[in-house]
This record gives sequence, structure tokens and C-alpha cells, in this order.
Amino acid sequence: MAESLIFYSLAALVLLSALAVVTMRNTVHSALFLGLSLAGLAGIFAELSADFLFAAQILVYVGGIAVLFIFVVMLLGRASDLHLRQINAQWPAALLVCAVAAAGLWRAARSFIAPAATRAPAPTTERLGRLLMGGYAVPFELVSLLLTAALLGAVFFSRLEKNP
Amino acid sequence: MSEEPKPDAKAPAAKAAPAKKTFPPAKFNEKAGRLLKTTRYWPTELWANPWNKPSYRRGALLLGGIILGLLATGAAVGELAVWGDRLYAWLLAFISARGGSPVLAQGIWAVFKGLLVLHVILLNGLWAVWWERKISAHIQSRVGPVYAGGFHGWAQTICDGIKLLLKEDITPAASDAWVHALAPAIVVVPVVAAFAPVSFGRQLAAANLDVGVLYVFAMAGISVIGIVMAGWASGNKYSLLGGLRACAQLVSYELPRGFSIVPVLMFAGSLNISAIAAAQAGYKWGFLPRWFIFYPVVGQLAFLIFLIASIAETNRTPFDIPEAESELVSGFHTEYSGMKWSIFFLSEYGYVLLASFLLAAFFLGGGASPFAFDHLIPSWIWMLGKAMLMMFLFLWARWTFPRLRADQLMDFNWKFLLPWSFANIALAGVWLLLS
Repeated sequence: MAESLIFYSLAALVLLSALAVVTMRNTVHSALFLGLSLAGLAGIFAELSADFLFAAQILVYVGGIAVLFIFVVMLLGRASDLHLRQINAQWPAALLVCAVAAAGLWRAARSFIAPAATRAPAPTTERLGRLLMGGYAVPFELVSLLLTAALLGAVFFSRLEKNP
Repeated sequence: MSEEPKPDAKAPAAKAAPAKKTFPPAKFNEKAGRLLKTTRYWPTELWANPWNKPSYRRGALLLGGIILGLLATGAAVGELAVWGDRLYAWLLAFISARGGSPVLAQGIWAVFKGLLVLHVILLNGLWAVWWERKISAHIQSRVGPVYAGGFHGWAQTICDGIKLLLKEDITPAASDAWVHALAPAIVVVPVVAAFAPVSFGRQLAAANLDVGVLYVFAMAGISVIGIVMAGWASGNKYSLLGGLRACAQLVSYELPRGFSIVPVLMFAGSLNISAIAAAQAGYKWGFLPRWFIFYPVVGQLAFLIFLIASIAETNRTPFDIPEAESELVSGFHTEYSGMKWSIFFLSEYGYVLLASFLLAAFFLGGGASPFAFDHLIPSWIWMLGKAMLMMFLFLWARWTFPRLRADQLMDFNWKFLLPWSFANIALAGVWLLLS
């Protein structure tokens, strides 16, 4: 009872703040609501006793991604960012695309729906570490290689050319 | 003070020779025609024996008495965890006798622990502000607060707190009112939350989290958003610049701060703060504690990087460009007054205390005694002592080093601290392979 109450209120928080991200006229407010939405997702992870995912979600998404969003919005902001609508007249089409994608996701994920685990929460960090450094070592290293390549690419393309 | 020689106006200096020794020594003053303790005594005698000053002797005795009294109190009280267990058992019995469920007792106990931790943070604010003022004063050859309360101005922070409570709470006309009002809360709530897994002694943590270290860093990361909110919502260009600088600095210094403790996690094999402290128990060769700071090279390097990055994370002086007074008025909290401003201050000291306790738990063995023969002093006294020593390092650094420039700050982080923290992880790996 208490678990589902917490779960549904957190889910409502995530969805409502995600809605606020696209409907707010002020881009800084949008960025702040994005942070709230990501933090709510972390709360859902904690509620489902995924302790490592909870901490990593806050560390990476709230403390990193959301802060960078806010930073960029504040640094590159124009005066019009503070009162113009963030969405244009194409929003019904976008809604349709979202609905189709959501229906597809629902069909794909339907077979995995089960009541949340009721057993006592167990620490997951050590098992995650053994999986990443054991059975999944090669995919893990490939992902790190991909991220490094993306990082170097971003630096390369954003660098100012000295000799145009 | 009472041992000054009686000034004798008529007697020449030669006859007043057998006067008692004073510090600074009395000299014959031509103008006044008598022995005077000279006030113009510069440069001071570097190697003069300070024990000749009665006030010095008295102060040292007093300090020794206070420390001995604290140790005796600790020895009399014993481990706090034992008292906590007794209290919880009593609460459980009390509630089940009245037909309540154990869940209720757990809930009350959780609230009680939360309130205790909150009071640690609040009392730390009172103590640390006073201590910082005294230390800064003595570093700068002043005396700091002396009047309020009588004893070395101990009540100064309380008076300041009352003053801050009574001050007008101003919201600037150009501000974004909601974000402006919410920002201090977003800054201070993560500090309180981050203290949940912090170990205050043996088995003395509010929550025994398996991901404790990650959790603390995650919570500390949220405060950045509050600082940026404060900077943006004030509607002031100095505040905005301060907020942007704080954002860039905090996000950058989080990296070496996180990576510098990876060696500690490798040695301890756990993310649980209490487990990390417990992993340093025991003594090498019967007397040297097995603290991680004593691990050659790896331990000292990790300690230094973590200390420097922690100072940067709290926006304190060598790294205080976000609130550089000479350029930005006072940075992101320029437009805050009264209690909202003091909440920023409180969270700064909260983070200093958090970093002190983390340093003590990660590198100084937590509540373990530095002496193998000591079985009397409880762990919470040792933990508190180590944390206060670390806090002294913070204050000392703040009042000793000049401020870095913004580009030097970034260079220092990305080109020095971060590579060395990576190298340190490799060194820790070598150490683990060899031992």
C-alpha cells in the first residue's frame, strides 16, 4: 500500500515536471523542471530498491546533465527565452508521434509487467561491479571507448580554427 | 599582567634593574623618565620564550584542562551507540506495551535520528563561525570577538544569529521571486540529507547505506543547482557571474574529489562509510595504525587531492572566485539578506563539517584510536577530534592562501588534480597487486 502510494506520487511528479519542461515559457524554469523530473526518476529507483542506480542517477543526471543544461541556458540565453512559447504549431503532430512510440513501447514492455518485488532490499553495487568487470567486461569497455570517441569528437568540432 | 614592575618615576634605570622579567621586556623610556613596557616592539623577538608570558601559561593550562575534561567526559559516557541501542529498546518496549506496532517505533526512531543529525549541523554552524573568527583573527594578529558571553566571545555567533533573524528579508524587484526564494532551500536540504550515512563513531551513523559514499557525493552535487538558481534569480549581473563561476567550479572539482577516493574504495572494498572506517582497524608492528593516510604515496596523494577538492567544493578562499568580494560584491548571494543569506552560510559550514568527517573516516581511521594501548576513550571522541583537526585545516587554508584566478583554478583542476588522481588509482592498483 505505502509502496504503491510512493511509486504513483513519484511517477506523477516525474510526468508533471516533464510536462512543465515543454510548456514553461521561461527556458530557465524548463531546465529546473528537467532537474526535478530526473530527481523524481531517481526517487523511483530508490523506491524499487535499486540503490546504486539511485545514487548514479542523481550524481550523473541531476548533478551533471541538469546542471549543464541550466549552465548553457543561462550562458547562451537571449531575452526572448524568458517569455516566448517553447513549442510551435506542430505540437499535435509531435503528440501523435509520441503516442505511436508510447503504444509501441507499451506492447514491447507489456510482457515484463509484474508487481514490484516485495522482498527486503539487498545492496546491488557489488553484484553490478562483478557483472561489469566479469561477464560484461567487453561491452563495458566498448561503451567507454565509444564515450571517449564522442568526447574527443565534441572537442575537435567545437574547437576554434586558428587558420581558417 | 600582575607581574609588571612598579614604575618608579624618580629612580634611574640602573636602580630599577632587579625588576622582574616581563614580556616584552621593560625598557627605560627617556620621555616618560621611567621603566615602560614598550609597545613599539617590532619586529617581535621570534625566539623569545612565550612561556614567560603569564597569559600564555594560563591559556595553555586552560586549553589542556578543556581537552582533559572532554576526554574524561567521553570516558565516563562510553560508546554512544550503546546508549542509542538502550534508548531504542526502551522505545520499542514502551510502544509495544501500549499495543503499537514496531513500525511506529521504527518511524519515531528514524525521525529522532534525523533530528539529532540536523542539530549536529546547526550546532556546528554556531561553533564553526566562532572558531573561524577566532582563528582568522589570530592568524592576522588580531583577537577576534572577545566581549559577547565573556569567555573569548563565545556567544558572538548567537548574537549574530539573532541579528540575522531580525533583519529584513529583501526580494529584489528584478528577481524571479519563486526561484529566488527556493534557492536557499535547494542548497541546504542536500547538506542535511548528505549527513545520513556519515559515520560519527563506531556503529554511529543515522543510516547504514551500502552506497554511502556515492550517496554523499550525489547529494553534494544537488547543491550546485541551488547556487546557480540563486545567481540567476537575483536579477543582478554580479550574482549571475558568481552563479556561473560556482557552477563551473563545482562541476569541475567534483571529478578529482570523486576519483581521489577510488584508492580508498579499492583498499576497503566497500562504498559503506562505516565499513571503510572499520577496514582501517588494527596496528602495524603493534603501534602504527593501519590508516589509509599512512599507505606510502597513494594515501598521502589521495588525502591531499581530496582535501584540496573539498576546499574548492565549499567555495572557500583559495578557490572563492564565485563570491570574490573584490570583483563580484559577494557573488551568488549578493541579493540575499537575513535568514536566507544565513542559510547559504549554514550550508557552507555544513559542507565543511561533512568534508571533515569524510576525511576522518576515509583517511584517519574513523573512530579508531591512534594508540594501540588506549581502550578507554570512546570512538566518538576520537572521530570528533579528528574531524575538528580536519576542520582546522580548512580554516587554516582559508586564511593563509591568496585567491586563485578563474583560469588558474580550471588549469589546476584539469591539468594537475585530475591526472594525478587517475595516476593515484593506477598506483593503488600496483599496491594491491604487490601486497
